Amino acid sequence: MTMLRYVIRRLVLAAVVLVLLSVAVFAATEVLPGDAGDVVAGVDASPEERARVRAELGLDRPAVMRYLDWASGAVRGDLGTGFVGRRAVADVVADRLPNSLLLAALALVVAVPIAVALGLAAGMRAGRPLDRWISGVTQAMVGIPEFVTAGLLLAVFAVWWPVLPQVSLVPLGASPLHAPEILVLPVLTLSVVGLAAATRLIRASAADISATPYVESARLNGVYGLRLAVRHVLPGAWGPAVQALALTTAGLVGGTVVVENVFGYPGIGRELQLAVAGRDIPMVQGIALSLCAVTLVTLLIGDVIARLIDPRGAA
Amino acid sequence: MAETDTARSPREHTGAGRRRSPTTVLTAGGLLFVFATALIGPWVAPHAPTEQVGMPFEAPDGTHLLGTDVLGRDVLSRVLHGGRVIVVSSVCATIATSLIGIVVGLWAGLGDGRFREAVVRAVDVLAAVPALLLMLVLAAGYPASDTAVVAAVALTTLPFSVRVVRAAARRLAGRGYIEAALARGDGTLHLLRYDVLPNLAGPLAADAGIRLVAGVHLTATAGFLGLGRGAPEANWGRMVQENLPGAKLTTAPFLAPTVLLVVFAVSAGVLADRLAESWGSDA
Repeated sequence: MTMLRYVIRRLVLAAVVLVLLSVAVFAATEVLPGDAGDVVAGVDASPEERARVRAELGLDRPAVMRYLDWASGAVRGDLGTGFVGRRAVADVVADRLPNSLLLAALALVVAVPIAVALGLAAGMRAGRPLDRWISGVTQAMVGIPEFVTAGLLLAVFAVWWPVLPQVSLVPLGASPLHAPEILVLPVLTLSVVGLAAATRLIRASAADISATPYVESARLNGVYGLRLAVRHVLPGAWGPAVQALALTTAGLVGGTVVVENVFGYPGIGRELQLAVAGRDIPMVQGIALSLCAVTLVTLLIGDVIARLIDPRGAA
Repeated sequence: MAETDTARSPREHTGAGRRRSPTTVLTAGGLLFVFATALIGPWVAPHAPTEQVGMPFEAPDGTHLLGTDVLGRDVLSRVLHGGRVIVVSSVCATIATSLIGIVVGLWAGLGDGRFREAVVRAVDVLAAVPALLLMLVLAAGYPASDTAVVAAVALTTLPFSVRVVRAAARRLAGRGYIEAALARGDGTLHLLRYDVLPNLAGPLAADAGIRLVAGVHLTATAGFLGLGRGAPEANWGRMVQENLPGAKLTTAPFLAPTVLLVVFAVSAGVLADRLAESWGSDA
């Protein structure tokens, strides 16, 4: 199958999955249609007032019709209007998503080289002490919640040894890059989280490749260390490793939500949490759908790059 | 099949001969400590978790061993009360996903067909959804519900248990002793009880350990983000969120739950890793 056909097939598949996810997002948040009207009308609104607000928001129409309206709007780039502050959901996403992507990208820049080095070092000597250490430590790190890592880093670098700001506030309309020091702790937290996950995945792929006959024969021919890693293990391990990194990147979506909340960073995850807390259903739906799309695109890019590197992969 | 001695089902990985290393003892102790704090804590706590006993952010002293929190409540009491919901929620989710994983995994692994294939694909799609995103969306639909949190944890960890059981089942299906048992005319239940489940126990236990860690990770994060049953209930995750702003005044209120969560994650993670190593990981 040619590359183009592969990409088209995967795009169609991703679109189908996105439609399914949109149904799931809509269903999970709209099963109790009374609530949204109540939020807008206020707790002590009269029944007539509630009915009026519900009609105004279109909540008295059948769920299927409302879904179709919402989904067709989403295709045109219109995700509706949030209940709180009457902001256009698409504007909020367009405004905040870049900030979150910046965090994730910086975290990857920090974490990926270290993860590749550690993953290779462990995977090429699977079962040996170094591997057991790296596997054990990363397994332990994977289980530590992001907010715990963030809290500890905050305690060390903002409280006990106050060299960095405790919160990462960004003035309205400014870019987070104007004050790079606010990015350090959020990026560091995300890097730690991504590093552990990525190292484990790369280790697994490096261990598989290291057990193949051609690496074995290279070893018997006296090739070892960095040369063995770069010339023999990496070429085979790259493909799965890129897919693993895409998976890690997708996993950072959850990480950014937490990290942005710890540091008050104006990203999409903070908006999502605020929307959930404020029962702002259109905002939750729009942001969730956008994040699903980002995740799917990330995984798609990972698969396409993996296939470019190693066209034999059937995935 | 090359195997001839197929009358009895051999345990594929016996795990025998494992030495109890200091690490294993230490991590098992850590795990036990965290579980005991979470489960027995509410009975031995000196104060109610919501009782105001002093000024906000008092430093630890003789009367309040861990100081007071943002609202002047006893931190030690809140630590002792705040773990139960996390441990119970994640254990519930782990048991549920193990049972569903066994049923769906065996069903998908021990046969073929388009429908089974479709179910496996659906499980794969579920695995691609970021766990926290699913949790936040469910929390928006069902506010202040601990059940929604458990459901979110179960849904996001289910793909892993299905995959592990399915992989193990497929491997078993090719073994001679299953065919021998079938040829002998053993019933399905008998087959499951004596030939399939014993060989599944190891990989599943290792996987359940990893899912338990993920469960605690997610439920604690839910507490931190204010999902599930909200304030004033004590919850390790929420305690970090409440007391982090006061870290400059006193660190104990946010450090205590933080340390417990780290001890749990490290102990359970290392133990699960050991378990997976000795049983051979299928994940």
